[in-house]
Amino acid sequence: MLKSKTFVKKTRSGGVMKVVREHYLRDDIWCGSEVCTECKQDSTVLQKDACIESSLCPYPHYLVPDTNVVLHQIDVLEDPVIRNVIILQTVLQEVRHRSAPVYKRLKDIIHEQGRHFYTFTNEHHRETFIEREPGESANDRNDRAIRVAAKWYSQHLKTPESGPDGLKVVLLTNDQSNKLKAEETGLAVYKFDEYIKSLTGNPELVDCLALSNDDKNEITSSKVLFPEHLPLSKVQAGIKSGSFLQGTFRASRDNYLEATVFVQGEGEDSTEVLIQGLQNLNRAVHQDVVAVQLLPKNQWVAPSSVVLQDDGAAKDDNVDEDEEEKVLTGPLTETARRATGKVVGIIKRNWRPFCGMLNVSQIKESTRHLFTPADRRIPRIRIETRQASTLAGQRIMVAIDGWPKDSRYPNGHFVRSLGGAGEKDTEEEVLLLEHDVPHQVFSQAVLSFLPKTPWSITPEDMAQRQDLRHLTVCSVDPPGCTDIDDALHCRELENGKLEVGVHIADVSHFIRPGNALDKEAANRGTTVYLCGKRIDMVPELLSSNLCSLRSNVERFAFSCIWEMNHKAEILKTRFTKSVINSKASLTYAEAQMRIDDANKNDDITKSLRGLNKLAKILKRKRIENGALTLSSLEVRFHIDSETHDPIDLQTKELMETNSMVEEFMLLANISVAQKIYDEFPESALLRKHPAPPPSNYDILIKAAKSKNVMIHTDSAKALADSLDVAKVDGFQYFNTLLRILATRCMMQAVYFCSGMDSDFHHYGLASPIYTHFTSPIRRYADIIVHRLLAVAIGADSTYPDLMDKHKQSALCNNLNYRHKMSQYAQRASVAFHTQLFFKTRGIINEEGFVLFVRKNAIIVLIPKFGLEGTVFFNSKDKASPSLVFDEEGPSLKVEQHTFHIFDQVKVTISLDDSNIQHQKIRMALTEPVIPGVSVPAPEAEPQAKKQKLDR
Amino acid sequence: MATVQVSEAEKVYILHGIRDDLRVDGRGCEDYRHMEVETDVVSNTDGSAKVTLGHTAVLVGIKAEIGKPRPMIANEGYLEFFVDWWVSANATPEFEGRGGEELGTELSNTLYKVFNNQHSLDLKSLCISPGEHCWVLYVDVLLLQCDGNLYDAISVAIKAALFNTKIPRVHISTDEEGGKEIELSDDPYDCMRLDVENVPCIVTLCKIGHRHVVDATLLEKACSVASLIISVTHRGIITCSRKVGRGSLDPESICEMIEAGKRVGKALHPPLMKLLQQEESLGKKRQKVGFLC
Repeated sequence: MLKSKTFVKKTRSGGVMKVVREHYLRDDIWCGSEVCTECKQDSTVLQKDACIESSLCPYPHYLVPDTNVVLHQIDVLEDPVIRNVIILQTVLQEVRHRSAPVYKRLKDIIHEQGRHFYTFTNEHHRETFIEREPGESANDRNDRAIRVAAKWYSQHLKTPESGPDGLKVVLLTNDQSNKLKAEETGLAVYKFDEYIKSLTGNPELVDCLALSNDDKNEITSSKVLFPEHLPLSKVQAGIKSGSFLQGTFRASRDNYLEATVFVQGEGEDSTEVLIQGLQNLNRAVHQDVVAVQLLPKNQWVAPSSVVLQDDGAAKDDNVDEDEEEKVLTGPLTETARRATGKVVGIIKRNWRPFCGMLNVSQIKESTRHLFTPADRRIPRIRIETRQASTLAGQRIMVAIDGWPKDSRYPNGHFVRSLGGAGEKDTEEEVLLLEHDVPHQVFSQAVLSFLPKTPWSITPEDMAQRQDLRHLTVCSVDPPGCTDIDDALHCRELENGKLEVGVHIADVSHFIRPGNALDKEAANRGTTVYLCGKRIDMVPELLSSNLCSLRSNVERFAFSCIWEMNHKAEILKTRFTKSVINSKASLTYAEAQMRIDDANKNDDITKSLRGLNKLAKILKRKRIENGALTLSSLEVRFHIDSETHDPIDLQTKELMETNSMVEEFMLLANISVAQKIYDEFPESALLRKHPAPPPSNYDILIKAAKSKNVMIHTDSAKALADSLDVAKVDGFQYFNTLLRILATRCMMQAVYFCSGMDSDFHHYGLASPIYTHFTSPIRRYADIIVHRLLAVAIGADSTYPDLMDKHKQSALCNNLNYRHKMSQYAQRASVAFHTQLFFKTRGIINEEGFVLFVRKNAIIVLIPKFGLEGTVFFNSKDKASPSLVFDEEGPSLKVEQHTFHIFDQVKVTISLDDSNIQHQKIRMALTEPVIPGVSVPAPEAEPQAKKQKLDR
Repeated sequence: MATVQVSEAEKVYILHGIRDDLRVDGRGCEDYRHMEVETDVVSNTDGSAKVTLGHTAVLVGIKAEIGKPRPMIANEGYLEFFVDWWVSANATPEFEGRGGEELGTELSNTLYKVFNNQHSLDLKSLCISPGEHCWVLYVDVLLLQCDGNLYDAISVAIKAALFNTKIPRVHISTDEEGGKEIELSDDPYDCMRLDVENVPCIVTLCKIGHRHVVDATLLEKACSVASLIISVTHRGIITCSRKVGRGSLDPESICEMIEAGKRVGKALHPPLMKLLQQEESLGKKRQKVGFLC
């Protein structure tokens, strides 16, 4: 049967268009229930004995939620207790239209076999399709469609054998009028919270309920705390006329009363607007897209450099904010003032479930508690729960439901518990979630695209590839590395020249464009390395086996082979797909030993020596060109093999062989970048490192000046040279500290599509063009580069998305985001392990250097542990000492003593777990001794304890 | 212009019949052939109608689009006409070759004269905001088959299609800067109807021998030297008249023909309106006939 759907819509040019779609109704859509004998279905989803302990519905029943229930209560629906649910097509479509994340979660539930969620295509079913009546709104029509479908089900399931206690259909809706209308037609219908509260077997689900509108009113006091948000139409008009600015809201990590709104302008013309004070922040949450209005110039302020945490007891809504905010105002210098504004409307909320911990309310019976997110940029959230005592001390996830204008905090609901705080698994889960690292196990769909095992190389494969199995190829990696993506060789040719080969795992052979495996890898973007854990980008079969260039097995590789003379000048470059057989997988130390051991003279060692020699020349040339050698402290943990707790830590040591491998990787990346750019000037995926704006170097120059050292920052070359000569007598560590500071001045290197940008320069490497080619197992960018190169040399076929610069550009954005997040996750993981380490160490007295000076604190770096910490000079419980901050130095005078950057200090380090919300490393000053500020140095460490730990 | 071929004997037969008020198919001189009207036949138009008159069949579709009012008449919308044919030879032999374009233009020029004026249709109601936006009704006439008397069939179909036309209701919202934004109502049933009471119908009178007939078939037309087209409203007011054909008409017979046209035209309206209203009242329950009859 044919029906047509008609609707009118506005065209972009302002006209009006009538659209007519044909809509076919069918009579072969089955109900999906085990009970049904009428429907000729092959398999059923909904169970016969659909029982759940409910005091409202003691009979077996199927649930039919309406759209708003799905949208707002998805957290409850995700609970495995909820089974046998009919998701109507009407609901599914509306959900898809209104919220993509909820839609994805709903789809995931539907695909889960054990959940018995059935999608009923009621819109195409002959008996359940309805047309919109005159005078009926779209929502009313959908509500009616849901009711009609529910009615149909309840009649359809009424089989003779089912009897009076047979299966029923329960409609769940929170809409009062819908409920009434459903009751009129004789349907079993309940409000969602009514139903959930009736589940006697699972009382904990009640906590997951999102607050509906009428509940919210009870909680909040009547006092209006925030100005009303403007309606979207006004906001849009304002943005069009330029009176408002649209941007992403970024809360400050250090100060909960301050935020910036990043306004994306045309091209490079982007600005940041400062927002200060609760009223002006106006309920915006980190990452929301907001509309801001600039304040008049005389109200502009400077960003405060105080560290301020919202960690008081749960504040009442009627607390006077003036008190909170007066800390912000300080003396204003005209130059420091920045564009300041206030939030007038929210364009798009970007709320996600947040990890954190519960602040249990002081009142015992209270069911309302504040929740403190792990991310300090997120405000605290008020939730309602009856299991506060169980949840205290656990890491939990909470979602925000709304933020009424008369509430100091947003309202939310409990989603799930992640486990005890401080436990390793829980904390790892938290930091993965907080950094948006996809870490679920690979789905069946993804795994289905893996090659069949046992895998072997076929003659067809050999025919398409160059056989390089005879070459003495070896790999050099850190110890314990299982995803080996690069291997090298070097040999002397008959003409006296040297042949150097870089062989990269041929991942693009296994991951074909567009399939589920490819999409998953593209989404993950990168492998994330945590301490003692690796979150793979591609399934393990590929990452640790088929793609990994392990020794003495035949593997596919993408080879980049140069012919060089002994001065390391490239004479010829060649790229080919190949088959290699690595002769050895070495660690950096092993390789170093072979090179140094004069007795060894086998092929591998000779090859290594040749490589090492060339690498040194290459490195020298690169540095002459102005490449920067920067420094950041990296620590390695020695992990106990049984408990997996860190027992010792050391900073990473760099060997010659590290830089040997690095040099050739750089060379391969540059060669490939040139090749793919020549071939595809519009769609090559490249990596650039923009030169930092000169103002970034201010802190570096000031800091060096305080030690009478001049740093030139006119060019990368000048910077590299002046860093090389920067030395202070009797202060060995000075140069490293300078380099650490210089690193902080740098911009982030990013991927981009060559067709979308004109500046390709890589500042840090001083290379005009650069890309990533050498680690396809752990970076998705490299896979794309492999595909581009394969097309360029005619080894593989192309596909449309590869040449589409807009799609490439979108991909780059995701990759840049994932890389940034993975770095943050890595740092967070190191920080957590450092905490675990200090947990067992008690209080330690250590030497450190002042890295930054703030208004009320100094930031100290402990080189031994690569650890950075903040020493606060003002605390709430005691009178703060006199603090004089000099911006020009920058220096901070505390009582009589003045702190400068690079000052050597001694601090005690201890784990502060008094505050269970955030365990953190606490540092306290022991030297220089400032009365009332510094603490006495601890006694020598208790010997007994240490012995026990060292075992 | 190619036409049907009529032998001398046939011509005489037809002429003599008409003289006795008895035409080849049994009609009197002022009788129409069997007429069928169906509206809302093309779903992606805003209004449509199909009319068959004997073997003549025309389809009219109306699309409403937002446009700019004509400079001289800022507070009125307007109509645009296009005449096209299904398969040229099938519709009418006159459409063969370049002749089709000529006939199409001729037809649409006449239609402009007849319909695009304030007396036929309330063009002011098509104005959205004076001088800036108005509705433009694109009237597309599709000739499906031709067996004479195209004008009458087209005019009836246009009247029916205008009756059927549903224009989405729009609101003009003004923002702070005075910029105007058109907003659509999201209810597809919220629409504006046109008042078609004064829309005229065209009556074509063919001079054959000493008499004239209405609704001439192709054969009869071949016997005629000239015809008179007049458009008549439901009150019997003539809004337009035109002579077509090679031959000439004497003033006396013109007067006679106008009188007859008035009579026939006036009688055409009431049953048509009744039919349209009847069809409308059936609403969605109406079984659509469409093109498969």
